[in-house]
Amino acid sequence: MTKAFSIFGSGSKPQLGPFEQQLLQELWSHGSATVRELLADGRIHQAYTTVMTTVDRLYKKGLLDRIAEGRAFRYTPRHTPEELQRVTALESIRQLLGSGEASSLPLSYLVEALSTHDAQLLDELQLLVERKRRELQSRETKGRESKTRERR
Amino acid sequence: MFALRGIAVSLTFFVLVYCLLSAIVAIVWRSLRLLHASARSLAALLFALRVLPLAASVVVTFAFVVPSFQLLEPRSIDIDEGIGAMPLALGIGALLLIACGCFRVIAAQTKTSRVVARWLEGANPLHVDAGAQTEAQTVAFRSRRETPPLTLVGVRRPRVLVSESTVALLSHDELRIALKHELAHMQSRDNLKKLVFRFCPFPGMAKLESAWSQAAELAADDAAVSNVDDAVDLAAALVKLSRLVPVQAAPVCTVGFVTGSISARVARLLTWNEDEARKAQTMRIRPWYAIPPMVVTLLCVFATYGPALALTHEVTEWLVR
Repeated sequence: MTKAFSIFGSGSKPQLGPFEQQLLQELWSHGSATVRELLADGRIHQAYTTVMTTVDRLYKKGLLDRIAEGRAFRYTPRHTPEELQRVTALESIRQLLGSGEASSLPLSYLVEALSTHDAQLLDELQLLVERKRRELQSRETKGRESKTRERR
Repeated sequence: MFALRGIAVSLTFFVLVYCLLSAIVAIVWRSLRLLHASARSLAALLFALRVLPLAASVVVTFAFVVPSFQLLEPRSIDIDEGIGAMPLALGIGALLLIACGCFRVIAAQTKTSRVVARWLEGANPLHVDAGAQTEAQTVAFRSRRETPPLTLVGVRRPRVLVSESTVALLSHDELRIALKHELAHMQSRDNLKKLVFRFCPFPGMAKLESAWSQAAELAADDAAVSNVDDAVDLAAALVKLSRLVPVQAAPVCTVGFVTGSISARVARLLTWNEDEARKAQTMRIRPWYAIPPMVVTLLCVFATYGPALALTHEVTEWLVR
């Protein structure tokens, strides 16, 4: 896992090119695959050698494991998407905490950011609850109306 | 010396069984997630798995090790067998483990009592009808101090503490259903279970305890909700009280209302329907399911008790020498 740290920059996303990210996604959906299997799906429109070079680069970055299978390699992602996300976040936080002259400053920014995020999440949940309540109320009103109509 | 050797050997067996089973439990508990059981059953299974190492090591020690030593170990004073380095070291390890467990329990209880006493200063009984489950008015208190929004405190005399701001913020129905949630925790004695966890420390169990805590929250949600309106009221209370959560951590023997993954709980409540709830009831793992395997185990033990004692004694001899 520590080797994977080297691929993370100062941002919150790993420093992976779009094609590297696409290949990683494909490998996560396959579980494990050879270059030929990746190309067989038809979702990757690149030459065999390009895919092979890129997968090899991901292996060297410590994101994939590989075992020989005939004359080719079978590649397996070393981390799940959640693990990679966690490591990315941890590394970003570590860099953030180490960036300021006063170590307490970045931490306070982080708390502020987390609070904002929490507040946003709670606002979204509140909206969902209110929507559900309206839905129930309208269903109740409709039920009452149809009963009144039936009585008439 | 005979008695000392007996104690050392018993403690050695205790710590060996405890550590071995704890290591196995720390690895295998995740497979329970694949089980399609209700939240209540899952919480019960996780709790059983968490305390299994302690229970099994106590049973093995008192049912096999102590009798085998008493019956099969020669008591002759001519034979001066020493305690042995390994039983001595592991016996001390066992005593340290038990002492550590006791200290953690006492510390948790003391801290909880101190904090709860502070929270209860100036608190008044709260009169809310939380349904037929329990008489809420005898256990719920409205606290004027800075307390968590809604929390169940204590082990011997559990009480639900409701902060002033919670009473002001929640509607009558929301408060009633939130109290029912806390009373469900009270009925399942979740604070006592948390205290039992403190008594059996082992590295790598934190995730199991956290999974139990989440399952216990979902089980309490299920127990509180009986129709869609209840589910929406509970979700609304959860969202409202999430904004009031204090920064300071709550003591061990308390169960806060705002615990676990709030978004997951709200999402689950908003998709609540009667059929699913009924299906979950049928998927409950009842305690009496454990009776047949226990009877079979007991019969096997009775049938092979003599040879088992002899085997235990042989292992004891090997340990001592």
